[in-house]
Amino acid sequence: MNALQQQAGRTKNLVLFLILTAGIASGITIFSSASTIADWLQTATSGLFLPILISLILAFLLDPLVLLFERAQIGRTASIFAVYFIFLALIGLLLTLIGPLNWHSMLDALHADFPRYTARILDYLNNLLSSLHAQFPFLENYDISGKVRQGAQEFLGLVLLETPRSALRIGSLFLLVPLFSFFFLRDSRRIMRSLISLTPNRYFEMVLDIYDHISWQLANFIRGRILEALLIGIVVWLGLSLTDIRYAPLLGALAGITNLVPYIGPIVGMVPGLVIALVDLGIGPQFWWILCVYLLIGQIILDNFILIPILISRVSNLHPLWVILAIVMGGKLYGVLGMIIGVPIASIIKITLLEIRHYRSSFNLSAENIVSHRDD
Amino acid sequence: MNPFWSNIFRKLGYEGSLAYFLGTVPTFSSLGRRDLSILESMVHIRNYQAGETVFTEGDIGSGMYIIRSGSIRIEMKNDQGEDKVQANLEPGDFFGEIALTTPMPRIATATATEQSILVGLFRADVLDTVRKHPATASKILLGLTRVLSERLQHAGLRLRDLNYVHHESSPEDPS
Repeated sequence: MNALQQQAGRTKNLVLFLILTAGIASGITIFSSASTIADWLQTATSGLFLPILISLILAFLLDPLVLLFERAQIGRTASIFAVYFIFLALIGLLLTLIGPLNWHSMLDALHADFPRYTARILDYLNNLLSSLHAQFPFLENYDISGKVRQGAQEFLGLVLLETPRSALRIGSLFLLVPLFSFFFLRDSRRIMRSLISLTPNRYFEMVLDIYDHISWQLANFIRGRILEALLIGIVVWLGLSLTDIRYAPLLGALAGITNLVPYIGPIVGMVPGLVIALVDLGIGPQFWWILCVYLLIGQIILDNFILIPILISRVSNLHPLWVILAIVMGGKLYGVLGMIIGVPIASIIKITLLEIRHYRSSFNLSAENIVSHRDD
Repeated sequence: MNPFWSNIFRKLGYEGSLAYFLGTVPTFSSLGRRDLSILESMVHIRNYQAGETVFTEGDIGSGMYIIRSGSIRIEMKNDQGEDKVQANLEPGDFFGEIALTTPMPRIATATATEQSILVGLFRADVLDTVRKHPATASKILLGLTRVLSERLQHAGLRLRDLNYVHHESSPEDPS
């Protein structure tokens, strides 16, 4: 009897052991195959993130124009081609009016000038350090200027190395972006409709309504942000071209792009311009004018008093803590690009959540209600 | 031609298309072919099993449904809280049109009594069309207004008749 019980216990243990082993083994297999699949997916899609992002942005920007043509009873595809043509013609006109910007020679000159600027910053830092050392002798041990020099050289090396590679990438962008944005413009409605039609009947109306609200808000937000960056860039460029500063177009573009990141972006976008002004022009009326362009005209007047109230609702404002988190997380995922687009994406998530909450509260669709629906 | 190939290249006549079906619905009877093809791209086709609820009384509605096939039972709760069947709708009938223009709670429950295909027209798509094809959108909305006004007038007349009957039956009533 006892022996029988013992044997039964042993078989039970054996079965348990087998099941556990099988479970762990299959778990490991699934996990490893899942990670290889994820790896494959990552490799397959690695180069696509930027073109898709840019084409989405372009599609958002061009959509109102396409709509304008469509209202005149022109087919969607023909409207898109017309908008493309006008867009290209405008760019061509702009280039012939301003004169072709010589980006390449400007970049080459920047490569040559970069060490000069870092040298001047180092000089300045050294002066600062020697005065600091005089006051705080224990700072002697820190080789700050050496560290800065090393960092700057590494950065320059990275820029030099990345330029040919990024030139190749930009070439592929010129091919992919118009193609992608064409299809986004033409078929985005159909794609979204077929995605929404997958929702169960019970929630279909709600999902459709919420999607409609969110897409409105998002379109406005993205359009507003892009227009804001564009205008800031142009204003900074024009303001800087009034002085003798070099690289005004580059600095304008930098100011526009960094302006996408709240709080920190404008400062980051301002620093290179101020450094170049300081080194090339010295502190004088021109330097103060440049500071004015960045701070007063760019940030305070244009951004805070004109653009933000008109283009962007305060709803999408993020708490500074979220901004920092978004920048850090974006930087971890996609480097500098991730830092720039991290905050807009965080805002997009916030808008989505706010819209869902607004929908539920305004229509009294409390959680209980949804639960009771789920039950029947 | 080989019947096999003729079957493959057979064209579904216009009579079989969704656009034609939409044109037979009284609300959209004044729409031309072009408007109907725009309307066709606006609507959603939803499939329902027998016994499946389309919406429940008190839900926030956002659009109307047209019955393409199958049948729908409309019920309302009475004073005692029991469901009372108001109507059984057949293909070509439509319901829920009040919620199309403003978000309002549904006043009745709609249930599919057999396997049904419904064509849904929702506010989001109507608003989208107002921006993209204003002329078509106004025709659709005018058709809807016509049907709703007819109903309102009908209801008003019935209310007057009921009031009349009520007064006839209770002349001592001071009101």
